[in-house]
Amino acid sequence: MKPLNVLIISLLCAAIAFTAPASAAPADVTVVSSSLDPPVLMKGDTGTLTVVIQNTGADTVAIRSARLYGSGVVPLSDPYPSVGELGAGNSKTFTFTVRAGNREGTFYPTFVLDFRDAAGSLRYPVPVQVENTPLSTSVISKPDAFAESRTADITVRVGNPRPNAASGVQVVPQGSGFAVTPTGGFIGTLVPDASGTVTFNLTPAAETDVTFQVVWRNGINTHTTDLMLPVAFGEDKRQADPVITNVEVTPIAGGYRIVGDVMNAGLESARSVLITPGAPATPTDPFRVYVVGTLDSDDISSFEVTFTADGTVEEIPVVVEYRDGDGNRYEATTMVGLGSTAAPLEEREDGGFPVTGIIVVVLVALGVAGAIYYSWKRT
Amino acid sequence: MDTGFLRVLLDPGHFFEARMQGEPSLKVPALIALVIGLIGAVSAIPMADFTMAMLPAEMQGLGVLMTVFSAGVAFVGGLLAWAIYGFVLYFVSMIFKGQGDLKRTMEFTGYGLIPQIFGGIIGTYFTYQLLSGLNVPPVTSPEQMVEFSENLVTILATDPLAQIAGLVTILFLIWSANIWIFGMKYARNLSTRDAVLTVGIPVGLYILYLLITLAGWL
Repeated sequence: MKPLNVLIISLLCAAIAFTAPASAAPADVTVVSSSLDPPVLMKGDTGTLTVVIQNTGADTVAIRSARLYGSGVVPLSDPYPSVGELGAGNSKTFTFTVRAGNREGTFYPTFVLDFRDAAGSLRYPVPVQVENTPLSTSVISKPDAFAESRTADITVRVGNPRPNAASGVQVVPQGSGFAVTPTGGFIGTLVPDASGTVTFNLTPAAETDVTFQVVWRNGINTHTTDLMLPVAFGEDKRQADPVITNVEVTPIAGGYRIVGDVMNAGLESARSVLITPGAPATPTDPFRVYVVGTLDSDDISSFEVTFTADGTVEEIPVVVEYRDGDGNRYEATTMVGLGSTAAPLEEREDGGFPVTGIIVVVLVALGVAGAIYYSWKRT
Repeated sequence: MDTGFLRVLLDPGHFFEARMQGEPSLKVPALIALVIGLIGAVSAIPMADFTMAMLPAEMQGLGVLMTVFSAGVAFVGGLLAWAIYGFVLYFVSMIFKGQGDLKRTMEFTGYGLIPQIFGGIIGTYFTYQLLSGLNVPPVTSPEQMVEFSENLVTILATDPLAQIAGLVTILFLIWSANIWIFGMKYARNLSTRDAVLTVGIPVGLYILYLLITLAGWL
């Protein structure tokens, strides 16, 4: 090569070196923050990963592209193919949509920033936590036993054992064979380690399973947790228990009279207590039904019923009807033996009223009165 | 008809006035009392039969005995009632200074029992009606029999038919009392007022007792 050519090339390089604009080094660009919404994903959740970079150098940095490489999470959004220049002191935010995989743990997808002019790239691992712990649900209050058509209060508690808040928490009873009020309960946001309660008035029509579905959101992801409550009918340990005692059966003309005491041996009040003789007895006046009214716990009341029964009947049921505070009707039956007291009169064809006898009395009275009147008139 | 039964019933004043002309005789009054006793015995038989029905087979012999005994007591009861009425009226009339022998009083008292014959017949009819409607329960022990008997008394006291029978009894008793007033007037030589009081006081008390019993106050 000729010396002249060498000189020209050297001058050209020098000129380029001096005329080219000054550029900051890639080391001046740093990731100043990164965040994930929601802060903790569940398996399959979609979240938003936000990375903020800042040019801490004195010169502008030319950035070609920004992208995210998945590790444990799947980037769903497109990378930033052409970012441009980042002025000195400026910052820039990159947002990526990611979806958690099927594994739990803390993953580190890599945020990669490529600089222009072969200035290299910035690689920054962003921590992403995936934890699949659901909200916890429990029934904290329910009756000892359910009964058909009897309204029961059921309280459901929802707790948040997750490290991040759950939003839009609500409880929805599901199933068939019951009526419930309210049809759903809203709790709202539950911060970590917080809990909320919802009380339902459940009225079962049959034995069934009630599912309390807890619906909540983790970011934009909706999740559900089910809590099943079997509704099996049983005897309430506190319910009213009318007991008939001190029974005395007395035959009366045309039937029987039963007098006795009814006592509430239960712990709850028995309301609208009615006492009637059951089949095969036929209630008759004057006490077809005896209305006791309300019997509080340990209260006692006397009663009296009148009825007719076939002479072959040796015992009849005495039926106690009562209601609970919700208006549900119950029955308790006590068999009462008629035994040797079974000596009722057969029902007369005229319905028990001896019309013939009355006529005879009237005729006799008229005859006697006439005879007496006549005897004194003759005197 | 001067001394006929119809005259006793409808015109006792003149009847007893006429009877005072003759010697006192107890034959007819005794016959009247026996008829009443007979009716009472007939009335007692269905009650005894009813009691017999609930006895076990091995005790049926006792039942027959009981029937005969009941009928016998009822039969004698007619004579007994006559005697009681006669003596009561005789002694009460003594308060009003009544004069006349006991035999005459018994005679007239016996005539005054004639309405009781009708009362007895109607009462027997009601008794049959009442007992025919009763069901006999199975009785296996003496305790049950006693309990049943007590219940039977309760039924008979509360049944409208039994109460009607009681009213009929009272009506015929009033009729008898009316006859006795005239009888005492002549038999014990009382004024009409004293005769009314002589008969009215004991019979009135007895009727009061019957009414109280019918009303169930006893």
